Amino acid sequence: MTAAPLLLVAAGGMVLGILIGRMTPRLWLMVTLVSVIAGFAAGAMVLGGGNEWEWRSAFLVGGEPLHLRLDAISAFFLVLLCVIGGAGAVYGHGYWSKLAHPRSVRSGRLWWSVLLSSLGAVLLVSNGLHFLIAWELFTVSAYFLVTLDRQRSEVRAAGWLYLGASHVAMLCLFAFFTLLAVRTGSWELGSMRDRSELAPLFWLALVAFGLKAGMFPLHVWLPSAHANAPSHVSAMLSGVTLKIGIYGLVRFSGWLPVPPEAGWVVAFLGVTSAVLGVAFALGQHDLKRLLAYHSVENIGIILIGLGFALVAMGQDNAGWGRLALAGGLLHVWNHGLFKSLLFFSAGSVLHSTGTREMSQLGGLWRMMPWTASLFGLGAVAISGLPPLNGFVSEWLIYLGLFDATLARGPSAWMAIPAAILLGMTAALALACFAKVCGVVFLGAPRSQAAAHAHESGPAMRGAMVLLGAACMAIGLAPVVFWSAVVRAVDVWNPVWTGAATSDHAWPVALSELGLFHVALAVLALVAAVWLWRRVRRGSFSRALTWDCGYALPTPRMQYTAGSFASIITEWFAWILRPVRHEHRPETLFPQSASFTSHTPETVLEYVITPVTEIVMRVSRAARSLQHGRLQFYLLYLLIGLAALAVVVLLGGGK
Amino acid sequence: MTLILDIVLRLAVWLLLAPLLPGIINKVKAWVAGRRGPPVLQLYYDLAKLWRKGVVLSTLASPGFVAGPAVAWVALTGAAMLMPLGPAGSVVSFNGDVLLLIYLLALARFCTVWAAMETGSAFEGMGAAREVSYAVLAEVAIIAAVLSLSVETGSVSLVTMLSPSLGTGAVLLAAGLFTVLLAENCRVPFDDPNTHLELTMIHEVMVLDHSGPPLAAVLHGASVKLLLFTVLLVQAVLPMGELSPLGAIAALAAGVLVVTVGVGLAESLLARLAFRRVPLLLTTAFLFCLFALLVAWKGGAE
Repeated sequence: MTAAPLLLVAAGGMVLGILIGRMTPRLWLMVTLVSVIAGFAAGAMVLGGGNEWEWRSAFLVGGEPLHLRLDAISAFFLVLLCVIGGAGAVYGHGYWSKLAHPRSVRSGRLWWSVLLSSLGAVLLVSNGLHFLIAWELFTVSAYFLVTLDRQRSEVRAAGWLYLGASHVAMLCLFAFFTLLAVRTGSWELGSMRDRSELAPLFWLALVAFGLKAGMFPLHVWLPSAHANAPSHVSAMLSGVTLKIGIYGLVRFSGWLPVPPEAGWVVAFLGVTSAVLGVAFALGQHDLKRLLAYHSVENIGIILIGLGFALVAMGQDNAGWGRLALAGGLLHVWNHGLFKSLLFFSAGSVLHSTGTREMSQLGGLWRMMPWTASLFGLGAVAISGLPPLNGFVSEWLIYLGLFDATLARGPSAWMAIPAAILLGMTAALALACFAKVCGVVFLGAPRSQAAAHAHESGPAMRGAMVLLGAACMAIGLAPVVFWSAVVRAVDVWNPVWTGAATSDHAWPVALSELGLFHVALAVLALVAAVWLWRRVRRGSFSRALTWDCGYALPTPRMQYTAGSFASIITEWFAWILRPVRHEHRPETLFPQSASFTSHTPETVLEYVITPVTEIVMRVSRAARSLQHGRLQFYLLYLLIGLAALAVVVLLGGGK
Repeated sequence: MTLILDIVLRLAVWLLLAPLLPGIINKVKAWVAGRRGPPVLQLYYDLAKLWRKGVVLSTLASPGFVAGPAVAWVALTGAAMLMPLGPAGSVVSFNGDVLLLIYLLALARFCTVWAAMETGSAFEGMGAAREVSYAVLAEVAIIAAVLSLSVETGSVSLVTMLSPSLGTGAVLLAAGLFTVLLAENCRVPFDDPNTHLELTMIHEVMVLDHSGPPLAAVLHGASVKLLLFTVLLVQAVLPMGELSPLGAIAALAAGVLVVTVGVGLAESLLARLAFRRVPLLLTTAFLFCLFALLVAWKGGAE
């Protein structure tokens, strides 16, 4: 049995979903689930050792014959798409309900189906023109999903920024694919590593896919789009569509030759994204915007893996590159899972309290125990702590970097700072998630809305539990997933297949790690339950927080998100440029005083906006040439002809 | 069967010996100050007493307030199981276990901070914020130290990394790791384990609201962490692999004792740093480890 019938079911389900999406919610959900399960099975089959699936037909789309291909790399991303797509559909069923959003609930379902099918198409097509068509379709459907709630002006602004940025990426992709087609004489895609004249095209791909992936400093569209989209859409954007940018980079750096310095640049951008992404996240007070900046961080971690794989490929295919890429790819899955889980939980907080401002939240664990514990699980995973999945992929990347250092080539000079900064990133992420968990879910509620929160419904909880379970599965049994990752890595660089000397060492280390994780998880659970029972059995009472003897603590006395992060944001003030609004106490008997601070979108406000203003000014100046008076147009023509004549005469009149 | 016996013996050594270290430190401090001081076994008495005591929980606290110390204790004990003990090696050893050890310490930190944030108190929030912020620099220094050990020995597994001595880089690495030890275990000049009510503290202020058995878990976990760092420091510097098994055990024990006395002396002779200076000292520790890395690099190239 090949993947073909499963993919046919998936595609059929998607088409049916698009047709009925506007009408029957339950049937739509079932059809979508069947479709994603079929897609998942197809991907899992290829990753589990099945044959690659390839299909050429004579059927023309846009003048080009249809050519589909499901190899291990496509399958790797397809599996993630299906898991998040399915979980998001279930979650959205409860989250974006007809009662709460009567105007947009139908188009929400429709565009969800369109997004899933166009993303699937991006992963499967093997023709440059079709790739562009599917890519544009996915960009536009994601735009409509981001702006589902378009009554709010900030949603429209975020959507506009997203659309603009995506089309900058689109322009680069147009250039990339047309140049590729011109040089190869065909739109067909496939492995062409040996044609070294194609190498410079990599830079175009890096800008286009890097922008889509949210790599620093091209991430400017990402925080506001992710923060303002409905939460299941945020999860999809962060969990899958960013990864499609990574897919593009992995795919085309595998098929096409790359310039020798590509690996260094990608690794450098990865380190920058990782450290600065988490630094910006620490400065945020908006729960979803904070999570969005963590996507920048995690994309950075993935790019470190990919970058070192490229460096290794340039240096006689060193074995550590395989490890780095495996870590990077596994982090694609992991980040997709835990970030979607976090966005789902953030959405359930938003759903029940109506605010994303962390200064309005607090103490939610009492009303929302499921959400709080699942968010805690996601926080442990994203901070890269054992025994969950985030640690496994970061561990693989670390080992790649350590081996690169031990190889003592020029690569070590990049690997040492990368390893050190990766450690810094993980510690900063821990600080950030300690802050979020503490401020949002623990302590006392800071507002009435937080005090009257309620747990979300079964559909939303079910989707979150599924993702939490997936995070635990990868963390506790990493060796099961290793072969799938390795299959994708070997498709990327076939030279590595079985050639790596330590081929058998890593599965052993991974299974030992898995065993240790299982023991740790079981013992932690046992210890926690046992200590809790011990506490309940002894003399046990509840009282106000002692806090060195405060008689009347109020919720406002708690540490806030800003104060928790202030030490670290101070260190990064050179790039965060925090804005402070201070109203100092002035007279002897001051009536009021206040202090607030926030971190702006520094790159957007200090770099992109000034540049666009200059462009706009130039365009405005150019517009004054266009006034609709025929006489002047004739004059332009005359001047133009005269200029041409002068050029021709001076050029020798040939 | 031997594995189970091995684990039980190790657990006994780690868990029973760990509370001795704070006692020794306090004895040294008392001796320098000319006092008699509390008995060396004081922490054992404290733990026994706390274990029998009742608990007052904050009205705001969730079960996570109790689970936090428990999970942190398990993580620290797990880290201890990864740490080789001279000729005895460690329970499990695989490529990259050193990173697991570092991240287990981070897990313990996350759990402690989580429990601190449960109380909704400004004090504990402040301590938690400081803990996670300074840990960033400490972690960077540890990664640099691990890299230098790794470059020296060409391995990423603790058992091999810790057996040879570091040669010239050893002094630098010892200075760096000792500073990190002081910071991570909340000792002077970073933190003052004696005061409880000052705004100048990190660790103690996070556990203000713990009482009874959970507090015992916190205190015992902290002593295991101290022993862990001491053992790491001693084995990173001494040539464990070149000594006979008995000699190595003796050297390890003597080394742990020397480091512990050193902590006590540092605590008696130094004043606590102003908080804005803390990052500076931790950066210095990082630079020590980085230079140790460069020395190891240079040594291998010859």
